[in-house]
Amino acid sequence: MKIEQYRLIEKSRIKEFLNKLISIYNVVAPVEKGFNNFAFEQIRTADEVRLNYIPTILPPKKYFLPKKETILEFELGDELKVEPVTEYENLVLFGVHTCDIAGIKCLNMVLSDRPKDTAYLIRKKHITIIGIECNNYCDDYASCSFVGAHIPTTGYDLMFTELSEHFIVHVHSSKGMEIVEKTEMFKGADQNTIEELKILRNNKLKVFNNEIPTERRYIPDLFDRSFNATVWQELESKCLSCGNCTAVCPTCYCFDIKEDVELSLKRGERYRVWFSCQLDPFAKVAGGIDFRRERSARQRHRFYRKFRYHIDRYGMIFCTGCGRCSRTCMAGINLKEVLTSLIRESEAKIWRKWL
Amino acid sequence: MSKPKVAFFDFACCEGCQLQVANLGEMVLDLIDIVDIVEFREVMSEKWDGEFDVSFIEGSITDEHAVERVKKIREKSKILVALGSCATIGGVNGMKNSFNLEEAGRYVYGEAYKFFPTIHTKAVHQVVRVDYFINGCPIYQPEFLTVLKCILKGLPYYVPEYPVCVECKLNENVCMYDRGLTCMGPVTKAGCNSWCINNGNICYGCRGLTINPNSQGFKDVLKKFGIPEDFLMKKIEMYNKCKELDES
Amino acid sequence: MAKVVIKDSPYNLKRARILEVKTQTEKEKLFKLVFEDKTWLDFEPGQFIMVSLMGIGEIPVSVCSSPLNRHYFEICVRAVGKVTNSLHKLKAGDVIGVRGPYGNGFPIKLIEGHDLLIIAGGLGIAPLRSLILYAIDNRRDFGEIHILFGCKTPGELLFSDEIDEWSKRLDIHFACTVDRADPDWKGNVGLITSLIPGVDIDPIRTYAAVVGPPVMYKFVIKELLTKGLPVDQILLSFERHMKCGMGKCGRCQIQNLYCCKDGPVFTFKEIMDMAEAL
Repeated sequence: MKIEQYRLIEKSRIKEFLNKLISIYNVVAPVEKGFNNFAFEQIRTADEVRLNYIPTILPPKKYFLPKKETILEFELGDELKVEPVTEYENLVLFGVHTCDIAGIKCLNMVLSDRPKDTAYLIRKKHITIIGIECNNYCDDYASCSFVGAHIPTTGYDLMFTELSEHFIVHVHSSKGMEIVEKTEMFKGADQNTIEELKILRNNKLKVFNNEIPTERRYIPDLFDRSFNATVWQELESKCLSCGNCTAVCPTCYCFDIKEDVELSLKRGERYRVWFSCQLDPFAKVAGGIDFRRERSARQRHRFYRKFRYHIDRYGMIFCTGCGRCSRTCMAGINLKEVLTSLIRESEAKIWRKWL
Repeated sequence: MSKPKVAFFDFACCEGCQLQVANLGEMVLDLIDIVDIVEFREVMSEKWDGEFDVSFIEGSITDEHAVERVKKIREKSKILVALGSCATIGGVNGMKNSFNLEEAGRYVYGEAYKFFPTIHTKAVHQVVRVDYFINGCPIYQPEFLTVLKCILKGLPYYVPEYPVCVECKLNENVCMYDRGLTCMGPVTKAGCNSWCINNGNICYGCRGLTINPNSQGFKDVLKKFGIPEDFLMKKIEMYNKCKELDES
Repeated sequence: MAKVVIKDSPYNLKRARILEVKTQTEKEKLFKLVFEDKTWLDFEPGQFIMVSLMGIGEIPVSVCSSPLNRHYFEICVRAVGKVTNSLHKLKAGDVIGVRGPYGNGFPIKLIEGHDLLIIAGGLGIAPLRSLILYAIDNRRDFGEIHILFGCKTPGELLFSDEIDEWSKRLDIHFACTVDRADPDWKGNVGLITSLIPGVDIDPIRTYAAVVGPPVMYKFVIKELLTKGLPVDQILLSFERHMKCGMGKCGRCQIQNLYCCKDGPVFTFKEIMDMAEAL
């Protein structure tokens, strides 16, 4: 911890800071939607912002990979006239949890993989991320400690951590430094607050316990053994195929490409829109064959996308432990429980082999 | 090229779907730029004797006269579109099918019921061939325009096969089940951009059941939320009673 | 919100003009295309392109002409959906949008010096035609060439004039079969698998390239293994739903493989343990 990278702001001045931030930037922050639901929205005053919130309905991926995004504009006619476009906005995302930052890091891997997704990279360049560290679990659905997303590492411009009297702020980029300078509300960190941060981080090791009865490094093996596990079959009758789990997932990025024309039938646009491997038309080809017909196979695919396939491709687990998929599932499909059942089933098999 | 001749007809319905078309606002001007509306009782008095390029049918088929009339319209129409729930799935008129016809007649008309012969409610496609379906009670204006553009371009329109939840989640609504309400979104066809839920209402299932609903799973969910199954069946039947005719 | 034009967008399209449309069968048409900017499509046999009709949609189609042809490229399209049906209505002179090529084609460098066994079912002949034409143009790079072609009925036989030519060549062994014959059909009747036991190949020095409808693969592979072909010398090209062609949209994923990026051509060895592949 380099003391010169840290700044302090009194907790009592956080609203003042936010209002100042709003006066300079377009600020997006978590707001309350009722019934213990939250959402990232553009804010007009600091009063709207909730610093204590459970993960929002949709993760901040909606600003990086919009739900619906025009990729081409075209004119209809005999000659082909097309123009690839993208829309972006200078945004400051305030109050992003470390799990959601982990999600953005996953998206970065995929969309900067060749061929690069230019639109994504343009938008990313215009977004500043101010994180806020969780000192406690948001609720029982979270499994951030298991995937190692509970401690801030990288992927943000500023990171706020709540101490007894201050927020200690880690400045992690020049964009972050710009905010510190422009808002003029921060002072340098001192040795005492750095010590307090160290104690807090140490303490977090006790507060956050691995939520899954295995270690992260055993995950690839577990999944290599579990393709035909009965756990998937149990999901067949449970899953409603509503696609909620994938829509709310910070690392799900699958999409559909569609087009729309104006009523004049003269101009139109091609756009991409979030889509889900849980839905009927996802893997269906023109002839009508559906390559992933069973709900169990679709759920299995989702879990393998999070815990196995992308380890080979991008070297990371694509689950951030945010718990959204479990929180949103009406059928009560719970990620922690599914993983635990997989482990139990796999252990039982191994034991049988030995006996 | 002359503009396609378009007509609107109503059968057993509240005419609310046609009202949605009439209420397109400024878009109506764009609309009449590209089509020639030749018959539309709700907004004009003119009639048309010739052939129709596109006929929109609102309402369900509930007596023999209607059967004959819709057959005649079909003969005169190149393309026939079922407009709104009554036309696409039978809609609320289908609730009649839960009763004995005579009993239903007597309930409505008293002893005079014999002068008002009736049949089991049918969706339009259960009587004549339908080329395009625009679901909803009422229809969702943007979807109406999408389908119209498909028709004019000679392209098929596919009603989304997935449930309303998909669109609802994208709109970042608070789930009705979190609010303690029973919502039909999980088993209802999407395409309405979760219009009702966006406005604080539950989904009544007006667009019909998804093609491949996990009925058992949904029943388990209801049990979990303490919702009795027959309460749900009544909710489903409110719009979907005519589905039985497709299955038989 | 600021809107910018991004010329280097991977979704940008090149204008391709239709030079000629040839009706192949009731359902299939062959389109001869050139890029308007006079560049040529640099592709390997087995690769695919994304074809766009503005306002209608975009679909993946494999290129079926010879990669050595610098004058034009060809696609063979079956009318099954919205885009393909609309494509069938186009005529010579019309312009369509094209991006690509995408994916991994047949590994020519590996196949060179070996015998080649081509097994095509129905429209599967399209990507394989590209390989066949390449092999004919570079005949000396390959040993024996066997072509087995099967389709449902004689009326569905694609590239019939070329097939006539191939079957007359002395340096190609050609056999054809239909599932159901008509009175004029003089050839074999039966599934494509019935032709495999009869081909005279040295399995160790043979590469098999197999493309056909999804149901075909399991049975053909079984016959090839019986013949003694090594698992890494059986090449398969898969059809999946694709939207982006760049390994992003997720639609074509077969377990940890993207059909668009890692395929569409795979060796049997790569996918033999994958339940979702076959």
